[in-house]
Amino acid sequence: METDIRFTHQTLVEQCKTGNTSSQYELYGLYVDAMFNVGLRFLGNQEDAEDIVQDSFVDAFKNLHRFKYESSFGAWLKRIVINKSINHLRVKRIPLVPMEAHEFHLADEEPEEVDAVDIQKVKLGMAQLPDGYRQIISLYLIEGYDHVEISEILGISTNTSKSQYHRAKKKLLEIISEL
Amino acid sequence: MDNFEKHIRENAAQFDEHKADQAKLWANIAAALKKPEPKVIPLWKRPMLRVAASLVLLLGIASFIGLSIYGGGSAETQYVSKELLDIDRHYQGLVSYQVQLVRNNPDLTEEDKAEFLSFMDELDAEYETLREEMRKNLDNERVLEAIVANYKKRIELIENLLHQINDSKKTDEDYGYTL
Repeated sequence: METDIRFTHQTLVEQCKTGNTSSQYELYGLYVDAMFNVGLRFLGNQEDAEDIVQDSFVDAFKNLHRFKYESSFGAWLKRIVINKSINHLRVKRIPLVPMEAHEFHLADEEPEEVDAVDIQKVKLGMAQLPDGYRQIISLYLIEGYDHVEISEILGISTNTSKSQYHRAKKKLLEIISEL
Repeated sequence: MDNFEKHIRENAAQFDEHKADQAKLWANIAAALKKPEPKVIPLWKRPMLRVAASLVLLLGIASFIGLSIYGGGSAETQYVSKELLDIDRHYQGLVSYQVQLVRNNPDLTEEDKAEFLSFMDELDAEYETLREEMRKNLDNERVLEAIVANYKKRIELIENLLHQINDSKKTDEDYGYTL
Protein backbone atom coordinates (compact mmCIF):
# COMPACT_ATOMS: atom_id res chain seq x y z
CA MET A 1 0.00 0.00 0.00
CA GLU A 2 1.42 3.38 -1.04
CA THR A 3 1.93 5.86 1.75
CA ASP A 4 0.58 9.38 1.24
CA ILE A 5 3.53 11.63 0.40
CA ARG A 6 2.24 14.21 2.90
CA PHE A 7 3.12 11.88 5.76
CA THR A 8 6.73 11.33 4.72
CA HIS A 9 8.92 11.36 7.85
CA GLN A 10 5.82 11.71 10.00
CA THR A 11 7.39 9.97 13.02
CA LEU A 12 10.44 12.18 12.84
CA VAL A 13 8.33 15.29 12.44
CA GLU A 14 6.23 14.34 15.47
CA GLN A 15 9.38 13.80 17.55
CA CYS A 16 10.63 17.20 16.44
CA LYS A 17 7.36 18.72 17.60
CA THR A 18 8.23 17.60 21.12
CA GLY A 19 11.53 19.50 20.85
CA ASN A 20 13.72 16.42 20.50
CA THR A 21 17.08 17.82 19.33
CA SER A 22 18.44 14.61 17.80
CA SER A 23 15.25 14.23 15.75
CA GLN A 24 15.54 17.84 14.67
CA TYR A 25 19.11 17.22 13.57
CA GLU A 26 18.07 14.10 11.68
CA LEU A 27 15.26 15.94 9.88
CA TYR A 28 17.61 18.82 9.16
CA GLY A 29 20.14 16.43 7.64
CA LEU A 30 17.50 15.06 5.29
CA TYR A 31 16.50 18.45 3.88
CA VAL A 32 19.36 20.88 4.34
CA ASP A 33 21.08 20.32 0.98
CA ALA A 34 17.84 20.52 -0.99
CA MET A 35 16.87 23.72 0.82
CA PHE A 36 20.34 25.17 0.34
CA ASN A 37 20.05 24.60 -3.40
CA VAL A 38 16.61 26.21 -3.48
CA GLY A 39 18.01 29.25 -1.69
CA LEU A 40 21.04 29.34 -3.94
CA ARG A 41 18.91 29.27 -7.08
CA PHE A 42 16.92 32.23 -5.87
CA LEU A 43 19.58 34.32 -4.23
CA GLY A 44 22.56 33.50 -6.39
CA ASN A 45 25.12 33.60 -3.60
CA GLN A 46 26.17 31.17 -0.90
CA GLU A 47 26.14 33.51 2.09
CA ASP A 48 22.60 34.73 1.54
CA ALA A 49 21.47 31.17 0.83
CA GLU A 50 23.01 29.95 4.10
CA ASP A 51 21.38 32.73 6.09
CA ILE A 52 17.99 32.02 4.56
CA VAL A 53 18.29 28.26 5.12
CA GLN A 54 19.29 28.74 8.75
CA ASP A 55 16.39 31.12 9.38
CA SER A 56 14.01 28.77 7.61
CA PHE A 57 14.96 25.77 9.74
CA VAL A 58 14.74 27.80 12.93
CA ASP A 59 11.30 29.09 11.92
CA ALA A 60 10.19 25.63 10.85
CA PHE A 61 11.19 23.98 14.13
CA LYS A 62 9.68 26.76 16.19
CA ASN A 63 6.42 26.63 14.28
CA LEU A 64 6.23 22.92 13.67
CA HIS A 65 3.00 22.72 15.70
CA ARG A 66 1.37 24.59 12.82
CA PHE A 67 2.36 21.91 10.33
CA LYS A 68 -0.76 19.78 9.87
CA TYR A 69 0.31 17.47 7.01
CA GLU A 70 -1.62 19.45 4.41
CA SER A 71 1.51 18.95 2.28
CA SER A 72 4.72 17.01 2.83
CA PHE A 73 7.15 18.42 5.36
CA GLY A 74 9.62 19.03 2.52
CA ALA A 75 7.07 21.05 0.53
CA TRP A 76 6.17 23.04 3.66
CA LEU A 77 9.81 23.75 4.42
CA LYS A 78 10.57 24.62 0.80
CA ARG A 79 7.77 27.16 0.81
CA ILE A 80 9.33 28.76 3.88
CA VAL A 81 12.72 28.95 2.15
CA ILE A 82 11.19 30.38 -1.04
CA ASN A 83 9.10 32.97 0.83
CA LYS A 84 12.12 34.06 2.82
CA SER A 85 14.24 34.24 -0.33
CA ILE A 86 11.61 36.35 -2.11
CA ASN A 87 11.36 38.67 0.90
CA HIS A 88 15.13 38.94 0.99
CA LEU A 89 15.19 39.94 -2.68
CA ARG A 90 12.42 42.45 -2.08
CA VAL A 91 14.38 44.01 0.75
CA LYS A 92 17.39 44.23 -1.56
CA ARG A 93 15.06 45.74 -4.18
CA ILE A 94 15.94 43.11 -6.73
CA PRO A 95 13.08 42.92 -9.25
CA LEU A 96 11.30 39.58 -9.14
CA VAL A 97 9.59 40.10 -12.46
CA PRO A 98 11.37 42.06 -15.22
CA MET A 99 9.78 45.26 -16.46
CA GLU A 100 8.82 43.87 -19.83
CA ALA A 101 6.71 41.17 -18.21
CA HIS A 102 3.17 42.29 -18.78
CA GLU A 103 0.04 40.44 -19.54
CA PHE A 104 -0.23 41.76 -23.11
CA HIS A 105 2.68 39.51 -23.98
CA LEU A 106 0.55 36.48 -23.38
CA ALA A 107 -1.25 36.64 -26.73
CA ASP A 108 1.94 36.40 -28.83
CA GLU A 109 3.44 33.60 -26.75
CA GLU A 110 2.82 30.22 -28.28
CA PRO A 111 4.34 27.31 -26.39
CA GLU A 112 6.87 25.84 -28.73
CA GLU A 113 7.77 22.20 -28.69
CA VAL A 114 11.33 21.69 -27.58
CA ASP A 115 13.11 18.41 -27.19
CA ALA A 116 14.97 17.36 -24.11
CA VAL A 117 18.34 18.98 -23.82
CA ASP A 118 21.42 18.25 -21.81
CA ILE A 119 20.78 19.16 -18.13
CA GLN A 120 24.27 20.57 -17.81
CA LYS A 121 23.53 23.01 -20.63
CA VAL A 122 20.27 23.99 -18.92
CA LYS A 123 22.17 24.76 -15.73
CA LEU A 124 24.62 26.93 -17.63
CA GLY A 125 21.81 28.63 -19.49
CA MET A 126 19.91 29.32 -16.27
CA ALA A 127 22.96 30.91 -14.72
CA GLN A 128 22.96 33.46 -17.56
CA LEU A 129 19.29 34.35 -17.23
CA PRO A 130 18.21 37.65 -15.69
CA ASP A 131 17.12 37.22 -12.04
CA GLY A 132 13.37 37.40 -12.71
CA TYR A 133 13.51 34.88 -15.54
CA ARG A 134 15.70 32.49 -13.56
CA GLN A 135 13.31 32.59 -10.61
CA ILE A 136 10.22 31.80 -12.58
CA ILE A 137 11.99 29.00 -14.49
CA SER A 138 13.19 27.59 -11.17
CA LEU A 139 9.74 27.79 -9.62
CA TYR A 140 8.00 26.13 -12.54
CA LEU A 141 10.50 23.62 -13.85
CA ILE A 142 12.64 22.70 -10.86
CA GLU A 143 10.50 23.36 -7.80
CA GLY A 144 7.47 22.02 -9.64
CA TYR A 145 4.93 24.73 -8.81
CA ASP A 146 2.05 25.48 -11.15
CA HIS A 147 1.18 29.00 -12.29
CA VAL A 148 -1.46 29.47 -9.62
CA GLU A 149 1.10 28.67 -6.92
CA ILE A 150 3.72 30.86 -8.59
CA SER A 151 1.27 33.75 -8.78
CA GLU A 152 0.72 33.40 -5.02
CA ILE A 153 4.43 33.17 -4.25
CA LEU A 154 5.42 36.13 -6.40
CA GLY A 155 2.28 38.16 -5.83
CA ILE A 156 1.47 38.40 -9.52
CA SER A 157 -1.49 37.28 -11.63
CA THR A 158 -1.62 33.80 -13.10
CA ASN A 159 -1.51 35.30 -16.60
CA THR A 160 1.61 37.28 -15.78
CA SER A 161 3.17 34.13 -14.40
CA LYS A 162 2.38 32.26 -17.63
CA SER A 163 3.59 34.99 -19.97
CA GLN A 164 6.68 35.57 -17.86
CA TYR A 165 7.47 31.88 -17.85
CA HIS A 166 7.13 31.59 -21.62
CA ARG A 167 9.41 34.54 -22.19
CA ALA A 168 11.93 33.13 -19.72
CA LYS A 169 11.82 29.75 -21.36
CA LYS A 170 12.29 31.32 -24.80
CA LYS A 171 15.29 33.23 -23.52
CA LEU A 172 16.73 30.11 -21.88
CA LEU A 173 16.40 28.14 -25.10
CA GLU A 174 18.13 30.92 -27.02
CA ILE A 175 21.03 30.85 -24.59
CA ILE A 176 21.22 27.07 -24.66
CA SER A 177 21.23 27.03 -28.47
CA GLU A 178 24.24 29.32 -28.45
CA LEU A 179 26.18 27.19 -26.01
CA MET B 1 4.13 20.49 -21.13
CA ASP B 2 6.67 19.76 -23.84
CA ASN B 3 9.54 17.32 -23.78
CA PHE B 4 11.98 19.98 -22.64
CA GLU B 5 9.86 20.79 -19.61
CA LYS B 6 9.17 17.15 -18.81
CA HIS B 7 12.85 16.36 -19.10
CA ILE B 8 13.85 19.10 -16.66
CA ARG B 9 11.11 18.25 -14.16
CA GLU B 10 12.07 14.61 -14.24
CA ASN B 11 15.68 15.51 -13.63
CA ALA B 12 15.09 18.34 -11.18
CA ALA B 13 17.18 16.53 -8.56
CA GLN B 14 20.25 17.06 -10.74
CA PHE B 15 19.95 20.80 -10.12
CA ASP B 16 20.62 20.23 -6.43
CA GLU B 17 24.34 20.00 -7.04
CA HIS B 18 25.57 22.10 -4.15
CA LYS B 19 26.28 20.85 -0.68
CA ALA B 20 25.57 22.97 2.34
CA ASP B 21 28.07 23.34 5.16
CA GLN B 22 25.86 21.25 7.40
CA ALA B 23 27.90 21.51 10.60
CA LYS B 24 28.17 25.29 10.40
CA LEU B 25 24.51 25.79 9.61
CA TRP B 26 23.38 23.38 12.33
CA ALA B 27 25.54 25.13 14.93
CA ASN B 28 23.73 28.37 14.16
CA ILE B 29 20.32 26.72 14.05
CA ALA B 30 20.88 24.87 17.35
CA ALA B 31 22.08 28.08 18.98
CA ALA B 32 19.02 29.94 17.74
CA LEU B 33 16.71 27.17 18.96
CA LYS B 34 18.36 27.09 22.38
CA LYS B 35 18.06 30.84 22.79
CA PRO B 36 15.18 31.33 25.17
CA GLU B 37 12.30 32.99 23.41
CA PRO B 38 11.75 36.44 24.80
CA LYS B 39 8.78 35.69 26.94
CA VAL B 40 6.04 37.98 25.85
CA ILE B 41 3.45 38.06 28.57
CA PRO B 42 0.42 39.94 27.40
CA LEU B 43 -0.31 42.81 29.77
CA TRP B 44 -3.64 41.33 30.72
CA LYS B 45 -1.89 38.18 31.95
CA ARG B 46 0.11 39.98 34.68
CA PRO B 47 -1.78 39.42 37.93
CA MET B 48 -1.26 42.97 39.21
CA LEU B 49 -2.34 44.50 35.94
CA ARG B 50 -5.31 42.18 35.83
CA VAL B 51 -6.35 43.40 39.27
CA ALA B 52 -5.72 46.99 38.24
CA ALA B 53 -7.66 46.51 35.03
CA SER B 54 -10.52 44.93 36.97
CA LEU B 55 -10.55 47.85 39.39
CA VAL B 56 -10.55 50.36 36.58
CA LEU B 57 -13.35 48.45 34.92
CA LEU B 58 -15.35 48.30 38.15
CA LEU B 59 -14.79 51.99 38.77
CA GLY B 60 -15.82 52.73 35.24
CA ILE B 61 -19.00 50.70 35.56
CA ALA B 62 -19.73 52.25 38.98
CA SER B 63 -19.19 55.76 37.62
CA PHE B 64 -21.38 55.00 34.66
CA ILE B 65 -24.16 53.63 36.84
CA GLY B 66 -23.66 56.45 39.34
CA LEU B 67 -23.85 59.06 36.64
CA SER B 68 -26.86 57.50 35.01
CA ILE B 69 -28.74 57.25 38.32
CA TYR B 70 -27.52 60.20 40.35
CA GLY B 71 -26.52 62.26 37.35
CA GLY B 72 -30.11 62.06 36.13
CA GLY B 73 -31.27 62.79 39.67
CA SER B 74 -29.03 65.81 39.92
CA ALA B 75 -30.42 67.16 36.69
CA GLU B 76 -33.84 66.69 38.18
CA THR B 77 -32.66 68.35 41.39
CA GLN B 78 -31.29 71.18 39.34
CA TYR B 79 -34.59 71.45 37.61
CA VAL B 80 -36.49 71.30 40.92
CA SER B 81 -34.01 73.71 42.48
CA LYS B 82 -34.64 76.15 39.68
CA GLU B 83 -38.36 75.74 40.18
CA LEU B 84 -37.88 76.26 43.89
CA LEU B 85 -35.73 79.29 43.25
CA ASP B 86 -38.46 80.84 41.11
CA ILE B 87 -41.08 80.16 43.76
CA ASP B 88 -38.68 81.42 46.42
CA ARG B 89 -38.10 84.66 44.60
CA HIS B 90 -41.78 85.16 43.99
CA TYR B 91 -42.94 84.48 47.54
CA GLN B 92 -39.93 85.96 49.28
CA GLY B 93 -40.55 89.23 47.52
CA LEU B 94 -44.20 89.06 48.42
CA VAL B 95 -43.60 88.07 52.06
CA SER B 96 -40.81 90.56 52.76
CA TYR B 97 -42.94 93.34 51.26
CA GLN B 98 -45.90 92.42 53.44
CA VAL B 99 -43.72 91.90 56.53
CA GLN B 100 -42.36 95.35 55.94
CA LEU B 101 -45.91 96.65 55.65
CA VAL B 102 -46.75 95.05 59.02
CA ARG B 103 -43.64 96.45 60.62
CA ASN B 104 -44.36 99.92 59.37
CA ASN B 105 -47.99 99.82 60.21
CA PRO B 106 -48.65 102.41 62.89
CA ASP B 107 -52.05 100.90 63.72
CA LEU B 108 -50.48 97.71 65.13
CA THR B 109 -49.19 97.47 68.63
CA GLU B 110 -45.64 96.36 69.26
CA GLU B 111 -47.02 93.22 70.90
CA ASP B 112 -49.03 92.28 67.81
CA LYS B 113 -46.04 92.96 65.63
CA ALA B 114 -43.77 90.80 67.84
CA GLU B 115 -46.33 87.98 67.89
CA PHE B 116 -46.71 88.15 64.15
CA LEU B 117 -42.96 88.27 63.56
CA SER B 118 -42.29 85.36 65.92
CA PHE B 119 -44.88 83.35 64.02
CA MET B 120 -43.14 84.33 60.83
CA ASP B 121 -39.82 83.23 62.38
CA GLU B 122 -41.32 79.82 63.12
CA LEU B 123 -42.42 79.56 59.53
CA ASP B 124 -38.93 80.67 58.47
CA ALA B 125 -37.41 77.88 60.56
CA GLU B 126 -39.83 75.38 59.01
CA TYR B 127 -38.91 76.71 55.60
CA GLU B 128 -35.18 76.20 56.27
CA THR B 129 -35.86 72.60 57.34
CA LEU B 130 -37.77 72.05 54.14
CA ARG B 131 -34.91 73.46 52.11
CA GLU B 132 -32.55 71.02 53.86
CA GLU B 133 -34.90 68.19 52.99
CA MET B 134 -34.85 69.41 49.45
CA ARG B 135 -31.06 69.28 49.36
CA LYS B 136 -31.13 65.70 50.64
CA ASN B 137 -33.27 64.95 47.67
CA LEU B 138 -35.99 63.36 49.72
CA ASP B 139 -39.11 63.10 47.72
CA ASN B 140 -38.72 66.47 46.07
CA GLU B 141 -42.27 66.87 44.96
CA ARG B 142 -43.71 66.53 48.45
CA VAL B 143 -41.06 68.82 49.95
CA LEU B 144 -41.76 71.38 47.29
CA GLU B 145 -45.45 71.21 48.07
CA ALA B 146 -44.63 71.72 51.75
CA ILE B 147 -42.48 74.77 50.92
CA VAL B 148 -45.25 76.27 48.85
CA ALA B 149 -47.70 75.55 51.66
CA ASN B 150 -45.27 77.25 54.07
CA TYR B 151 -45.22 80.36 51.91
CA LYS B 152 -48.97 80.32 51.49
CA LYS B 153 -49.36 80.08 55.26
CA ARG B 154 -47.13 83.11 55.72
CA ILE B 155 -49.05 85.10 53.17
CA GLU B 156 -52.32 83.96 54.66
CA LEU B 157 -51.04 85.05 58.03
CA ILE B 158 -50.04 88.45 56.70
CA GLU B 159 -53.33 88.78 54.84
CA ASN B 160 -55.25 87.93 57.99
CA LEU B 161 -53.30 90.46 59.91
CA LEU B 162 -53.89 93.09 57.27
CA HIS B 163 -57.58 92.21 57.22
CA GLN B 164 -57.64 92.67 60.97
CA ILE B 165 -56.01 96.08 60.61
CA ASN B 166 -58.42 97.07 57.86
CA ASP B 167 -61.38 95.75 59.80
CA SER B 168 -60.38 97.72 62.83
CA LYS B 169 -59.97 100.78 60.59
CA LYS B 170 -63.36 100.18 59.00
CA THR B 171 -64.97 99.85 62.42
CA ASP B 172 -63.37 103.09 63.46
CA GLU B 173 -64.45 104.77 60.25
CA ASP B 174 -67.96 103.37 60.44
CA TYR B 175 -68.10 104.44 63.92
CA GLY B 176 -66.96 107.87 62.88
CA TYR B 177 -69.58 108.03 60.18
CA THR B 178 -72.30 106.91 62.47
CA LEU B 179 -71.24 109.58 64.64
